[in-house]
Amino acid sequence: MAPLLELEQLGKRSSSGPDGWLFADLSAVVEEPAIIHILGKSGQGKSTLLRILALLTRPDSGSVRLAGKPPEQWTPERWRMTMSYVAQQPVMLPGSVEDNLRTISRLHQRSFPADQARAWMEQLGLGGLDWSKPADQLSGGEKQRVALVRSLLLRPTVLLLDEVTASLDALSKQATEQLLADLHRREGTTLIWVTHDWEQARSIGQRVWFMADGRLLEDASSDLFFDAPASEEARRFLAAAILEG
Amino acid sequence: MSSMSLWLSISFVLIALLLSLWQKLGLEKEIVISTVRCAVQLLVIGYVLQVVFHADHPVYLALVLTMMIAVASWNASRRGDRLPGVLWRIAATLTTSTVVTMGLLLLLGLIEPTPQYLIPLSGMIIGNAMLVSGLFLSHMKREMNTARGEIETLLCLGATKRQAIHDVLKRTVKASMIPTFDTMKTIGLVQLPDTMTGMIIAGANPLDAVRYQIMIMFAFSSSAAISAVLVSLLCYRLWFTRESMLIP
Repeated sequence: MAPLLELEQLGKRSSSGPDGWLFADLSAVVEEPAIIHILGKSGQGKSTLLRILALLTRPDSGSVRLAGKPPEQWTPERWRMTMSYVAQQPVMLPGSVEDNLRTISRLHQRSFPADQARAWMEQLGLGGLDWSKPADQLSGGEKQRVALVRSLLLRPTVLLLDEVTASLDALSKQATEQLLADLHRREGTTLIWVTHDWEQARSIGQRVWFMADGRLLEDASSDLFFDAPASEEARRFLAAAILEG
Repeated sequence: MSSMSLWLSISFVLIALLLSLWQKLGLEKEIVISTVRCAVQLLVIGYVLQVVFHADHPVYLALVLTMMIAVASWNASRRGDRLPGVLWRIAATLTTSTVVTMGLLLLLGLIEPTPQYLIPLSGMIIGNAMLVSGLFLSHMKREMNTARGEIETLLCLGATKRQAIHDVLKRTVKASMIPTFDTMKTIGLVQLPDTMTGMIIAGANPLDAVRYQIMIMFAFSSSAAISAVLVSLLCYRLWFTRESMLIP
């Protein structure tokens, strides 16, 4: 059986990166469902990597295969429904909270799983939110959680999460982590999660992709990465992260 | 109107030039170029129309209309940020809009099938369609900056290109059509339109002139709607790559 996801020699050019590349020669394989955290300093191309995986940005070199097939053998819609991206800056679509939650049903002519949506909203601390409220009037944290539920309703095999807990308070962050970890456990959803929160990566992550110097410097299990990082860059990164704490 | 009167009308341009100089607007070159182009273009088309009306041959008629559509398409497509393929899409839009609107005017027997009717009316329809298409491209340019997040969000939820851009297109089509309908609301109260003014100056009965103007304005409503909808349907893919990514 083909691996779930294969990244082969991926590269993206950038005028500001080393040798004109934001990152290059990035290869990794995800054989089975996993929670992978992408760590690294700002400007290493972590979000760009997620956007490439979501077919929002074209790589300048290399290729990606999902379930053994390159993007050309998928329709872009089916690819993005299988591997869905949740942006760091949540965008609410015009209309109410309910309109946003119903987007998947509207786009794909599916019935709206209201009970499931309500359960997830409650789990994320949004049980009391008025669904008829205009979505653009929500706070940043509320928007982020509504955007997450909106994507979860798609039931993707892989979720690409771009710092989705960065704007949340401690309680909401914990609830979100719990929900996503449960989802991985129960439904086998793979999470590829960009974060600056090393504690989050350590507590719920299973694997770490560490990006530095325009490369994927480490691809290791979380335990190994945090207990015995192989590279000097990773050791410096962790030391600085713990200090910032 | 005598040639002398025409020369005297340059005094109006001199007023614009003097004001520009006095206020240091730096528009002198623009004013001179516009004046020369306006006079030369109108004189040339005057002579061309004289030949075409006199010949009364469909080939001449087709040539004049093709030239009008080509110039209008080029002009409107310049607002399209050099999108590849936008020129022929605008040309197809203007042609369809003109054929449908003029066809209906002829079919309903509202105008006679002679160059004297077909050329000026087609010119007005093409001009209006050009305005609407140009507005569509300008609004789209703005929307593609402000609504990028909205479109990408929908793409990430598995939307097709058409689904992802649908709301943006709806807003843009509406914004492109509004000026035509705003003009219809205020016409006669704020401004007296060109056709009517021209006919009255040429000695026509004002009520006859008004009837023609009403017919033209109604024809504009259909050409604006056809142009805005058609240009949006023909052009929306231009903002996407083959893989349904938004172009950078």
